[in-house]
Amino acid sequence: MNVRKIITLVEETLTEGGRPVEPNARVAVVAAVIENPWRGQGFVEDLTAGIDEAASRVGELLAPRVVKALGGTVEAYGKAAIVGLDGEIEHGSALIHTLKFGDHFRNAANATTLLPAVEKRGPAGVTFDIPLKHVTDATIRSHHQSIEVRLADAPHPGEIVIALAAASQGRPQQRLAPLSTEQ
Amino acid sequence: MTNSATAGPAERAAGIRKIVYYQEEVLLENGTRPPVPALRATAAAVIPNPWIGTAPDKDLAEESRTVAPQIAQILTDRLIEGLGGVDRIEAFGKAAIVGSSGEIEHAGALIHTPYFGNLVREFLEGSSIICFADDRAEAGQPLVVPMWHKTEAATRSHYQTITARISDGPRPDEIVVVAAASTGPRPHARIGDRATDPAVTSRILEGAPA
Repeated sequence: MNVRKIITLVEETLTEGGRPVEPNARVAVVAAVIENPWRGQGFVEDLTAGIDEAASRVGELLAPRVVKALGGTVEAYGKAAIVGLDGEIEHGSALIHTLKFGDHFRNAANATTLLPAVEKRGPAGVTFDIPLKHVTDATIRSHHQSIEVRLADAPHPGEIVIALAAASQGRPQQRLAPLSTEQ
Repeated sequence: MTNSATAGPAERAAGIRKIVYYQEEVLLENGTRPPVPALRATAAAVIPNPWIGTAPDKDLAEESRTVAPQIAQILTDRLIEGLGGVDRIEAFGKAAIVGSSGEIEHAGALIHTPYFGNLVREFLEGSSIICFADDRAEAGQPLVVPMWHKTEAATRSHYQTITARISDGPRPDEIVVVAAASTGPRPHARIGDRATDPAVTSRILEGAPA
């Protein structure tokens, strides 16, 4: 697996709606730009070989970095696969929709729930929003949130951007009634 | 390698809405590992434009004195922590993006006076003039920030850029202030330097003897 570039993004929100957010809200993203394992092969029916080559390794690369970048307990998390223009969205899905990828993050974040995801195909510089949900209970409404990401020169047509996102809290100024109050 | 600094009283006193740290590490360029790997980063603060609604003859000095030094400290702290120490930082740059209700001059008032530039230079332990970019733009517009060597500005291997972007800033009445730094040269810098350049003039290129 060839990794061209690794980016780290940390957003801290200090005010929202004109009011202080205390403590400040932190969301971190770490993304790796990798070669599409299936580039130049035409339509590949069985994606297993590429998954075995890359999925676990990229998960192992990203998970500790995003936990470290966040610098605290991970309360919400999410993932992304952004495929360059020569690939299939299925290629990105193949790499992130496997326990071989996600369990690295689940273990590093003491998480149990499914990772919400975005899969998309686009040119270098495309923006994408990573959805995040609570790490142990995906029905906790306060933690439904997203973060917007853009890499200036990735993915190239034969590349895939794989990203993990982590938040140390729910939305700033979250004040919606919990799901249970509507059931 | 990553930034875990947490906003505290200084950031709140400066009126900052959001701080965004962005870092890039190039592992392969043109398929080959750079001989001198470098980390590049931007630290950006989204702040209220203190001059919204003021006339174009308004003296900007007072707010420059009070706002810019705090931002310089906050942004360089994040670059130093994120890039692994001030000794690792070799190149720097700065930028500002003014929201659509402000003047470009407001960006200049925050980054082109000693209250920002001198302090960024001091905190990053440089001596060069700091190169810059500024723009007036909608939220989410990318801005390419130039950097050069922090003590030897003419060192050509360190001419490089990084793209800064805040997804939801600046709002029309805000300013995004950016400090940028790099721990090394471009991935495969190989275009010589002033010391190795041949003499080039238009007459020489037309065939006249050098």
